Amino acid sequence: MPDTHHLGRRSVLAAGVASLGASWLLTGCAGAASTPVVPASAQKGAPARGGTLRIARPPASDAETLDPASSLSAYEYLGALYNRLVRIGADGTLAADLAESWEPDDKAATWTFRLRKGVTFHDGRAFTAADAAYTLRHILDKATASPQAAVLAPLIDPAALRTPDPHTLVVPLNTPNAEFPSLLTHYNCYVIPHGSAKSIGRTGIGTGPFKLESFAPAGPGRITAYRDHWAGPPVLDAIAFYSVADMSARSNALLAGQVDLLSQTNLDFATARVVAASDRATVARVKNAQWYVLPMLTTEKPFTDVRVRQAMKLAYDPEHVVKVALQGAGSAGWDNPVPPSDPVYISAHPAHDPDKARYLLKQAGQEGLAVDLYTSAYDPLFTPMALAYRDSARRAGIRVRVKTASADSYYTQVWMKKPLMATYWFTGRPVDQLFTQIFRSGSSYNETAWSDKDFDALLDRARRETDDTRRHGLYGEAQTMVIDRGGAMTPMFADRLVGISRQVRGYDEHGFEFDYLGIGLKGA
Amino acid sequence: MLSFVARRVGAAAGTLVLSSVIVFLAVQALPGDVATQILGKDATPDAVAALRGKLGLDQPAWERYAHWMRGALHGDFGASLVSSRPVGGEVATYLGNSALIALVTVLFAVTGSIVLGIVAGLNRDRWPDHLISTVSLVGMSVPEFVVATVLVLCFSVALPWFPAVVLYGPEASAGRLLPAVWLPALALAVVMAAYIVRMARTSVIDVMASEYVTTARLKGLSTWRVVTRHALPSALLPTLHVIALNVAWLAGGVAVVENVFNYPGIGKLMLSSVQNRDLPVIQAIALISAVIYVVCNLAADVGAMALNPKLRTGGRTR
Repeated sequence: MPDTHHLGRRSVLAAGVASLGASWLLTGCAGAASTPVVPASAQKGAPARGGTLRIARPPASDAETLDPASSLSAYEYLGALYNRLVRIGADGTLAADLAESWEPDDKAATWTFRLRKGVTFHDGRAFTAADAAYTLRHILDKATASPQAAVLAPLIDPAALRTPDPHTLVVPLNTPNAEFPSLLTHYNCYVIPHGSAKSIGRTGIGTGPFKLESFAPAGPGRITAYRDHWAGPPVLDAIAFYSVADMSARSNALLAGQVDLLSQTNLDFATARVVAASDRATVARVKNAQWYVLPMLTTEKPFTDVRVRQAMKLAYDPEHVVKVALQGAGSAGWDNPVPPSDPVYISAHPAHDPDKARYLLKQAGQEGLAVDLYTSAYDPLFTPMALAYRDSARRAGIRVRVKTASADSYYTQVWMKKPLMATYWFTGRPVDQLFTQIFRSGSSYNETAWSDKDFDALLDRARRETDDTRRHGLYGEAQTMVIDRGGAMTPMFADRLVGISRQVRGYDEHGFEFDYLGIGLKGA
Repeated sequence: MLSFVARRVGAAAGTLVLSSVIVFLAVQALPGDVATQILGKDATPDAVAALRGKLGLDQPAWERYAHWMRGALHGDFGASLVSSRPVGGEVATYLGNSALIALVTVLFAVTGSIVLGIVAGLNRDRWPDHLISTVSLVGMSVPEFVVATVLVLCFSVALPWFPAVVLYGPEASAGRLLPAVWLPALALAVVMAAYIVRMARTSVIDVMASEYVTTARLKGLSTWRVVTRHALPSALLPTLHVIALNVAWLAGGVAVVENVFNYPGIGKLMLSSVQNRDLPVIQAIALISAVIYVVCNLAADVGAMALNPKLRTGGRTR
């Protein structure tokens, strides 16, 4: 799914075929310009009502399902077919979806959600609190094996959920959490009708702006406008989804005018230039859509020593990495995994300082440190990033050997196994989930195996803090701690380069939010 | 004659058994424990142990091999680990789609390249020969996905005559797939044709220099007649073998080309099952490919013998 690494796995062949195929052939035509001539956004202007949008998507698996809670859900369908209780707005803060408002008690131990009235499912049934409660229970059900259960299960006891009236959901938490509603913005948390666990994977009955007409796992599918949608009908009449596993095949389909939008596809720079130069298609950017990491395993020498970790970070210049590996299409991370668009983001960070890095290494008895940095063809940016890091860190006397591993088994043999490697995540997860899943002691996604009691305690304090300003301050401290002591180097946030037809209007995507209501096509 | 055929069939069967063992062992040797690979990030020790039991990975390898072969001989390749559907039916659907491409490819390649080969052979060392030889050499040297991409750029993107990719799933009817068959078939045919052109050219040159062609010419037959009645059948003989080998090569060549075109054939199934570690599907495809390869070779040998009196009589004249 989009925030784990399956997306990349699908593009393994793309890395081979696409870069050797279309892009290899066409870079010649496009010229070997060193700066990308890629437009900053899609076509402006209002869409005309009606029409069918054709989207090419990489299939999640041959066993894809429309169950939003599943790890094999067909991601693109979810936002069109369903709604969540809350979503993330364009400014990074929470926005109302099926819940109109939500408030905690004074300890943030119990949350009350007031639900929207007059909302109907595609089969005509009215949406009530029972459906919302059922959705949470379905996610927590072990049989569902939902990835989001790991986040929610420690917080919610499914038996304790209460629905005092049809439009109120009360969620008592096991431990206070002032950020709880943000955890429900995940794409596993789309609301399904009461009692639909067995059938939802095929029926796709939700409250969203489109209803299902047909769906085949890893095959084509079609959804049509739901006229009775609570927020009004969508601009489009229908969306046709096509599964195209190979990335170069996807871009060829766009160039040939067979599809209008490539979903979950980050075009490599060469292909992006070709697409932008075509008269059928252009390139839109999703700002800072991925963040790239060089995780140091804090349980492996020499990274057990915090001074070595600090030296590794001070040694390189993220601006250099952005310039070389991203060709400027993104922004420097400065080892802070929180995206600049997040309301709690802090911009303070230690400056690039190779001399201090040298000094710290001397202190740690690691002068002239030599390390292996693993990379693979899994993502086209891994190796450029690794090489840019190597060249930048050389000034601090650190010798980095870049080693290429097999893309196929990269996430089973290298990730969380080798002391230093290259990887990435998709941005869009709320800050509490980001820190808890990837940086807290013992979490299964903690890719640096970092374990810091102070940090864990800080997260607990932040979760209990009901005052927004003070809580944001605590998350700021958490960022500082990750930058100063953690094992993750975060050189850069990369924009996603999205291939899109010149006919498409109103395309708006950020994080895991896609505007299905407003997207449309140019009038004839 | 019979003993020759029997020997050939015996060797083919032996090759198949050997290749089934190799296929089985190769799949076992895929990097990483299979259960861990399938579970990915969710691989807790309990889940891994449970899955290993379910997959029968806790049994010794030879027992699993015996079990698999017993099923395979009855056409039962087990169930896909991903979709839980029977592998046999799934592979058959995709194989049928690939057969459509293969058929068109063979028709293109064989007719086109034999004509070109004869033209080249008859015009030995003159410009048509140089042109055909050079072009076919280039076709042979360029990888098929590059040819495929160039074809897409020319005939889908620049001139919108054919679809660039197939947007339908594997269950699409042959009629719906047909418009999308031509470009992949052409790409494969270009790569395949080079061998056949060169073979046909050499045969024609040899035959045209032979004494019986000289005799035919002395009888006053026209070049056309000499070529069609006397040269062609003899020239076809060595070409037949190359064609059979190429049909076998097609089984592998489609993998990359099908992915470029998103064509729901056996090559695409093979790639996705490798990526998903869907072992029963991988094994079934590998074994079927081996069968195709062996059968094509056998057909070539037996066919060549049937056409060649010297081989047919088994050297009894000596």
